[in-house]
Amino acid sequence: MSARRVRMFALIAISLVFLLAWAFPIVWSVLNSLKTDPDVLAYPPKLIFSPTLDAYRDVLFGSGSILPNLVSSIVISVGTTIVTMLMAIPAAYALARLRFRGKKFAGFYVLATQMLPPVGIIIPYFLVLRNIGWIDTYQGIILIYLSFSLPFAIWLLVSYFEDIPFEMEEAAYLDGASRLRTLRRIIIPQVRGGIAVTVVFVFLNAWNEFLFAVVLSGNTVRPVTVAMFNFVSVEQTLWAKLAAVSVLAMLPVVALGVVAQKHIVKGLTVGAVKGGGRR
Amino acid sequence: MSGRGEVRFEDIIKMHGEFAALKGVNFEIKPGEFFALLGPSGSGKSTTLRILAGLDAPTAGHVYIDGKDVTSVDARDRDIAMVFQSYALYPHMTVADNIAFPLEMANMPRAKIGPAVVDAARKVKIDHLLDRKPGQLSGGQQQRCALARAIVRKARLFLLDEPLSNLDAKLRLETRAELKKLQRSLGVTAVYVTHDQEEAMTLADRMAVFMAGEIQQVGTPAEVFAKPNSIEIAGFIGNPPMNLLPARYINGDITIGGRWLKTTAQLAGERDVIVGLRPSALRIVADGINGKVDLIEDLGDSAILDIDCSGTQIRARVNHDNVPREGDAIAIAARPQDIHLFDPTTRKRL
Repeated sequence: MSARRVRMFALIAISLVFLLAWAFPIVWSVLNSLKTDPDVLAYPPKLIFSPTLDAYRDVLFGSGSILPNLVSSIVISVGTTIVTMLMAIPAAYALARLRFRGKKFAGFYVLATQMLPPVGIIIPYFLVLRNIGWIDTYQGIILIYLSFSLPFAIWLLVSYFEDIPFEMEEAAYLDGASRLRTLRRIIIPQVRGGIAVTVVFVFLNAWNEFLFAVVLSGNTVRPVTVAMFNFVSVEQTLWAKLAAVSVLAMLPVVALGVVAQKHIVKGLTVGAVKGGGRR
Repeated sequence: MSGRGEVRFEDIIKMHGEFAALKGVNFEIKPGEFFALLGPSGSGKSTTLRILAGLDAPTAGHVYIDGKDVTSVDARDRDIAMVFQSYALYPHMTVADNIAFPLEMANMPRAKIGPAVVDAARKVKIDHLLDRKPGQLSGGQQQRCALARAIVRKARLFLLDEPLSNLDAKLRLETRAELKKLQRSLGVTAVYVTHDQEEAMTLADRMAVFMAGEIQQVGTPAEVFAKPNSIEIAGFIGNPPMNLLPARYINGDITIGGRWLKTTAQLAGERDVIVGLRPSALRIVADGINGKVDLIEDLGDSAILDIDCSGTQIRARVNHDNVPREGDAIAIAARPQDIHLFDPTTRKRL
């Protein structure tokens, strides 16, 4: 075997190890969701079993159906994402472009809010929401999610806005466009990739959030992450159902990722200005 | 196009903190003129263009367009089209959409935009590329797209910021000629920023030469070439630049390398001067300033000689049939009317 082939096999072997580590949780969830509870607990683990959709039927249409929780999660995540983007895009543009006093500080402050450990602020948040009667409401949870998704989204988007040459904006002004129209027609279409990435991350964070949700939600608004926890109790863990809900909860995010992928790749490939940059 | 695109700069000052980018700039551009702002980088020519466009505000002074003070008018309300050095095409739009953008912003009806776009594209010969995106165009095609976007709107002023500097040498010469024809056929006032004196000389009807934030001279290229009014301009205009030598002036004559040369100057008495001699104005003669040829740069149709005249280096440009060899001892001279005199202290023309 030539040295080149040895090296190739070594690379493939190393890649396979990483692939396994990466794929294991997903494969494990999918397999367990298709088993019966005795099969899940069988030792040694059964690789060959008769697959069943019982767990899915139970979690979707059984007595403790998670459908309302999926709806809650969708409302919370979509709401958080929309409000975040509506506020983050103009804010990031301002931070990237406009010169104003305290710009540096504002940029740092945006990031600094990310440094606070969530556990430290959960009780104050709870008290504030209780005082205004927003516990167990969509607006309450979305408001709290905004407090960490917004800084993150702004921080992520600023670099995308900064990459757009200033001359392009000046060209638009001279072509007769207002600042708002320039933003809408010239700037935003070019940061599409960055916006797609940000949407995915914000949605994902809101979708998978558990800590705040478990404290601030109730019987009316209960996202799927909190509902899942019902399958874990002191006496037993309902592994098959837990796995089935996990797989179901993964689907919307995967779908979003697939849709966003197209824009992310496109965002990276457009050619822009020749000669480059600002003088 | 009479009366459209007249520009007047009145005492324009631009400060960047403590640094004065423009120190009181005054000039006028007549309607329909091709006006060049020429100067080395950092001389203030681009700042001047940006202030004219409304992209930067002057610290003091006034800008008038067609007699109206526009100093505080927004860029988008000035009715000015501009071609940027980087072209600044919108990468997510097709060529057609790029060219249509200014018309859309002016709320032109859709039915009229299409034909106007095709017309502008045809003028710069890119009407076969309308469906492409800027990223799929060559540098020259991108440049034409930027031109089309600027001419489609029939703005009253047409600004160009070093538009040819990103093109290769051959394309630059071709585009230069086309640009001049285009401007003439449109009859529009054009303001052209460049650091390339050859571009300014060939394109401009008149030009302003910038040095260190000030306009040193305004005139036709021929005037500036024939009568540079300062040592800086004399050293900047012409290729190779003028020889600038310290000399003694006595009653109409100057002395260089121990030889006396007649001038047309009418100054009284005796003084120190800086003498300017264009390389192309120097002739090889039988009796003149003696020197030895150090180096010959052959340009094909002519040659540039580096001549050592007893310690003073002088460059001369001679015809190809008249080229000596390196190391030859020769004598050179210039006609009295080709000798420029400058004051060594004020650095102005005498």
